Amino acid sequence: MVKLTSSDGQEFNVAEDIITQSQLIKNMLSDLEVGEAAIPLPNVTAHILTKIIEYATHHKDDAPPPPEDEMKAKSSDDIDEWDRDFIAVDQGTLFEIILAANYMDMQGLLDLGCKTVANMIKGKSVEEIRKTFNITNDFTPEEEEQIRKENEWCEDR
Amino acid sequence: MASTEDIANSVWAEIVPTIDAILGTVNRSLPPDIFMKSYTAIITFCTATNHTQPTTSSTNRGAQIAGGELYYSFKSHITSHLQKMVLESQGHNDESLLIFYSKKWLAFTVSCRILNHLLGYLNRMWIKRVAEENIGEVFDINTTCLILWRDHFFKTLHPRLLPSMLKMIYRERKGETIDSGLLQTITDSTVTLGINDIDSKLTTLDLYQTYFEKEFIEQTEIFYKAESEIYIGSNPITDYMKKAGIWLEEEENRVKSYLHQSTRDGLIAKAEIVLIANHATIIQDQFQPLIEKDKIDDLTRMFGLLSRVPSTLERLRDLFLNHVKQQGLDAVRKVQESMAEIAASGAATPVEEGEKPARKSNSPLEVDPKTYMEALLFVHTKFAAITVAAFKSEAGFVASLDKACREFINRNAFCTTGSSKSSELLAKYTDSLLRKGSKINEDNEIEDLLNGAMTIFKFIEDKDVFQKFYTKNLAKRLVNSTSASDDAEASMISKLKEACGYEYTSKLQKMFGDMSVSKDLNSEFREKMETSHGKQDIDFSILVLGSGSWPLYAPTSGFNIPQDLIKPYERFLAYYQSKYQGRKLVWLTHLSKGELKTNYLPGNKTYTLQVSTYQMGILLPFNTALTYSWDELLQTTGLNPETLQGNLALLVKAKILTESDKKYTLNDGFKSKKLKVNLNIAIKSEQKQESDDTHKTIAKDRELVIQAAIVRIMKTRKTMKHVQLVQEVIAQVQARFKPQIPDIKRCIDILFEKEYIERMDGQKDMYSYVA
Repeated sequence: MVKLTSSDGQEFNVAEDIITQSQLIKNMLSDLEVGEAAIPLPNVTAHILTKIIEYATHHKDDAPPPPEDEMKAKSSDDIDEWDRDFIAVDQGTLFEIILAANYMDMQGLLDLGCKTVANMIKGKSVEEIRKTFNITNDFTPEEEEQIRKENEWCEDR
Repeated sequence: MASTEDIANSVWAEIVPTIDAILGTVNRSLPPDIFMKSYTAIITFCTATNHTQPTTSSTNRGAQIAGGELYYSFKSHITSHLQKMVLESQGHNDESLLIFYSKKWLAFTVSCRILNHLLGYLNRMWIKRVAEENIGEVFDINTTCLILWRDHFFKTLHPRLLPSMLKMIYRERKGETIDSGLLQTITDSTVTLGINDIDSKLTTLDLYQTYFEKEFIEQTEIFYKAESEIYIGSNPITDYMKKAGIWLEEEENRVKSYLHQSTRDGLIAKAEIVLIANHATIIQDQFQPLIEKDKIDDLTRMFGLLSRVPSTLERLRDLFLNHVKQQGLDAVRKVQESMAEIAASGAATPVEEGEKPARKSNSPLEVDPKTYMEALLFVHTKFAAITVAAFKSEAGFVASLDKACREFINRNAFCTTGSSKSSELLAKYTDSLLRKGSKINEDNEIEDLLNGAMTIFKFIEDKDVFQKFYTKNLAKRLVNSTSASDDAEASMISKLKEACGYEYTSKLQKMFGDMSVSKDLNSEFREKMETSHGKQDIDFSILVLGSGSWPLYAPTSGFNIPQDLIKPYERFLAYYQSKYQGRKLVWLTHLSKGELKTNYLPGNKTYTLQVSTYQMGILLPFNTALTYSWDELLQTTGLNPETLQGNLALLVKAKILTESDKKYTLNDGFKSKKLKVNLNIAIKSEQKQESDDTHKTIAKDRELVIQAAIVRIMKTRKTMKHVQLVQEVIAQVQARFKPQIPDIKRCIDILFEKEYIERMDGQKDMYSYVA
């Protein structure tokens, strides 16, 4: 069992074979004499850590990911049902999960989060995207026109 | 708002104590929360968005990745850490320096791994991105640490480190026990540090080779050069061979224990040159004395050493060849001497009369085939065993053995008239093995002896001569039913077939076929006669032998079939002609034989006389009269005078007949200790004649074989140069015998005359086939 402490001071006991999906935890366990000491995770709240452990528990028997292949483009369409349900959370939680996955070095979960965000952007106009993510337009109309021009080449139509 | 640089500096200041703690600890004693604090600080710094450098959107489209400041601070921090360690090393020398280096190295590699994780976020983000764009400048944290170690620590210490290592190895070579783990750690470190600056995932052996291996091998050469010379100077070579073997083994172990395995080949090759190749001659010089004393162990060692430098074996093979050859010739000479001794002591068979004494010493004595073959075989067996035991059946030595055996078997003191003498003697020897009365009972034993004969056979160059004599002897064994065992006969033929192919033994096999056909023929004939003529008063049996396969010739003398035998003779003739129309039977009366019973002796003493058919022809008329004159017998038997004379002399000598004044009378006073009296003894002078005849037919046969080969070759090639033709002929026939070039030339001439081939116009030495 590995003891973890969330940023809001809550303690979690997680089986080693589950939590070592986090490369960060895995490395620490091999590098340091952790023992009974709790590993503090000052960037992760209890709420998010619960989600993370839920995800890791579900995926604990997954085959290790194949070595990263730079040439192979990742697809955002291959999310399985459990993962889709798991990641169907409010935007705030979604971004926190992504940050935590990045922090704890969990490639699978990080991919899942990013794919989900990508799917939220896919097929939307600039205005729709601004709306979705609640982004205020801080470009002047001139700047915006400039950017549009520069990126014309990648427009579909 | 603080500048990025300021923030970076404050983050750096925060994590430095953690880095120092990691560098300073050997065990894993860093508390997890300290680690996490620094890790979090780095990731927070790198992911914060508020300190991206303000840039215009046109020059920088992607997100700016932070972390470079931390990377470079880290690099200079490690560098100064290593420089401090260099200073620390000043007090250490020799073994103490090796201990220092190895201890530091082991700790450093552990620290590198932890640092690599602590700064893992840099690896994943900033370093990954920058390393792609700046190949050979930025590496992941672990590799960066190793490169810094290599450039700032290892290379600085190297001038002191290498001599210390070599000194330690020297001490070990001199027999001291050393801490080989220490050396292993250091050589391992040079392998690990062999980082390819372009692609850090690849490691090379460059560093290991340049900074260690090169000098190490040079020192090896110097060491063994000196040691081997000292050792040879004060020890026998046989001991040196042991010592060199041990040294080489030690080097093998050295590779396993603390060198990179890639060093093995170069190191061993160098040691082999210094220890073996450089002393090859002096080692080779021991070969003769060792083989003379049958020192198998030393020879095995010598072969083991020299085979490491294959070029040094060549001379050994030559020495071996000459020795075996000499041993073979000596063995033959000894046989010759013992024969001469027997002859001189008078125990030998009387020398033919009328021979001049001067010729006696020159002409080879009649040698006992068994003694001769055993002598040859002994030499072969002995050295074949040495070839296996000492020379591990290495192909070159096997070839030397074969060549030597071929030499002394075909060209020795007995083969004065040519190599065929050995073939003849071998045939006689096998005959003695296969004939009744060879005193060999066990099947295994005869099999072993036949195998021995085959060993010699393999080396014989005139296999056709052997075949001739063997066929002749086999015919005799079959006709006279003196063969000891059908199994042994069959076994020998299958061995010959295996060695020389189907053609070589086809006649022999046909001979056996004729024998079994004759057996059936006899029983069928007897049955037929009994049904048509009642019980036969004469026991009659016959062998019908194909003239093509049997080396038998029609009788030189005429002969009248005796009246008493005429009935079965005529009946068989009629029977056979009706069974096989158009076949011609030639009666080999000179090879026939029978038994007669005496009824004329007083007291009704009955002897069985074993006689030839000719003798039968002489004796049977005595049933009607007691005395015949020479002329009468000549007329009755129809024999020529010489044959009659020989047989009469034999009968008179055996006291069956008495002679007075050219008149022959049946001796009614004949007495013998045995009830069976064998009178069918070959007449002495016939034997030598036979051997000479055989040799004559061989010469004739060879001519035919060569001619056939020439025709065969020319038929396929159509045109051919003289030299090539001769070569091909030799290649084709040498399985049977070694053809002489003049013989081939003569055969070519004969074929010109027979118009099988012709010279081509305008082309020198060019022949063409006449279709």
